[in-house]
Amino acid sequence: MRNLQLLSALWKANLQSAMEYRAAFLTQVIFMMLNNLAYFMFWVLYFDKFNSVRGWTLQDMMLLFAVAATAWGIAAYFFGNFTTLSEIISLGRLDYYLSLPRPVLLHALASRSLGSGMGDLIYGVGSYFLSGYVSVDGFLRFLVGVAVGVAIFLSFLTLVQSLSFWLGNSTAISQLALSALLTFSLYPRSLFDGAAKFILLTIIPASLIGSIPAEFVKSFSWPVLLQLLASSAFLLTASTWVFYRGLRRYESGNSMQVEV
Amino acid sequence: MSSITVTHLQKTFKAKRKAAGLGGSLRALVRPVYVSVEAVRGLSFEMETGELLGFIGPNGAGKSTTIKILTGILHPSSGEASVLGFTPWKDRQKLAYHIGTVFGQRQQLWVHLPAVDTFRLFGRIYELDDRDVERRIAFLSEAFEIGDLLETPVRKLSLGQRMRCEVAASLLHRPKLLLLDEPSIGLDVVAKQHIRDAIRRMNQEEGVGVLLTSHDAGDLEAMCKRVIIINHGQIVYEDKVSNLKRKHLSSKMVEVRYAETVSSDFHLDGVEMLKVGHYGVKLRFDTQRTPVQQVLARLTEAGDVVDITISDPPLEEVIARIYQEANPS
Repeated sequence: MRNLQLLSALWKANLQSAMEYRAAFLTQVIFMMLNNLAYFMFWVLYFDKFNSVRGWTLQDMMLLFAVAATAWGIAAYFFGNFTTLSEIISLGRLDYYLSLPRPVLLHALASRSLGSGMGDLIYGVGSYFLSGYVSVDGFLRFLVGVAVGVAIFLSFLTLVQSLSFWLGNSTAISQLALSALLTFSLYPRSLFDGAAKFILLTIIPASLIGSIPAEFVKSFSWPVLLQLLASSAFLLTASTWVFYRGLRRYESGNSMQVEV
Repeated sequence: MSSITVTHLQKTFKAKRKAAGLGGSLRALVRPVYVSVEAVRGLSFEMETGELLGFIGPNGAGKSTTIKILTGILHPSSGEASVLGFTPWKDRQKLAYHIGTVFGQRQQLWVHLPAVDTFRLFGRIYELDDRDVERRIAFLSEAFEIGDLLETPVRKLSLGQRMRCEVAASLLHRPKLLLLDEPSIGLDVVAKQHIRDAIRRMNQEEGVGVLLTSHDAGDLEAMCKRVIIINHGQIVYEDKVSNLKRKHLSSKMVEVRYAETVSSDFHLDGVEMLKVGHYGVKLRFDTQRTPVQQVLARLTEAGDVVDITISDPPLEEVIARIYQEANPS
């Protein structure tokens, strides 16, 4: 409850900051929606020629994009520092959060908002309502799928970026991990076999963000729900543990500022 | 009663050493060489509740590292510390409710928002009652004379205005102890004075203890009762400020520029002439032997003064003198 109050205060401050630059904020939102639409046009053209790809239709792809884009949008808009954590660590900019009486990781992640995330969020929700899988229970499953996606995005990137406590600077490897996670989350897992399928469930858990939640929205399954919840709970716990282990090695810096 | 107790505190950083140029970078890639840098070396001291303690030293002396250990930002390599009864690196969150911190190089106010919005956010972070926050903001805006600055986005404030808001923000939750790391760095004389006056007032009215690091001897003279000087991570001097002033800060340096040329044999009794130029002089004198007023009167009598600067001797010089006295050989 106390952490929810902290989050709501930080989100309010982020919104106030965004309102200082309304035109820039709206531009980011609109261009991100157009960007997603342009990217999806590839699948529209593909399905114009073929009916399905390994069992996935155009509606299924819209659903997959809906889950992944909404999850990314929520992570980016409400926890915007999740893409820059390694830089914050390696440049010694955690000092601000360490000098205040709140959980460092949560405070750091939620202190920044990426305006483009709102574009992803609007696009994702819109894509869900156009996908043809709209129903009350389907929408509830969509919310569960999105929540799992947010948890995987945040925890996986926190885990990778926490390497900065040991490596000094893991910005490059973090960017690679981010690109891989995002790219593969937008493809159906049935496209991959063997080792690739395993990697996308473990080392780069992209299937847990797009494919599996989309399948779950289409039809409820207890094993899939348990798989999604257990995976996200494991990754959240592991990433938080690794971050706080690393924090003991933190070496600070002199360029202290709040990362907004 | 002690608010801070530090015993044999040690902090060693591991730093990578590499030769200059591309060759050096390649060699460091294949065979990295690390050196240990001892930022804090066996520091021990105490600070009483409500005390105004100056913690000074030149750049790289270990002041900021010590402050960061005492706020729980850094873990020490060894040694003990207790701040208001808490071990900072173990009880960081609990301690943070009772202390305020200001780092001169840090910006804790949200740059795109008016300062008052960050004050209210801090109210939430410290879990204060909304009405109490508004009352506190009113009090601090009067104490720091920032009433007309609070509604302006922080990015549009001058450095001096911003620092006044920063210090005020650190006092929002009524801390028992204020840890100030170079709060006057880069400020002009007027801005420094504003901050010094407000901090003294908070100490007198609310009993806030202040541990102040600075490499400006003026901060020390204006605010502190006791001083610890550190260099290379160790204490080199610990005494009352009044004693330090009497023993080591009694000299002043004066630079004067005249409208007309100055005679090359320009001379004043009781004053050490450091430099005599065509249009100006630079000199040093001991205020206990030669009163400031007397020197200034004689300097203005000597010609039409265009500009005059009076300054303390650099802290490095004071520390060198303390070293010499401690190690006469």
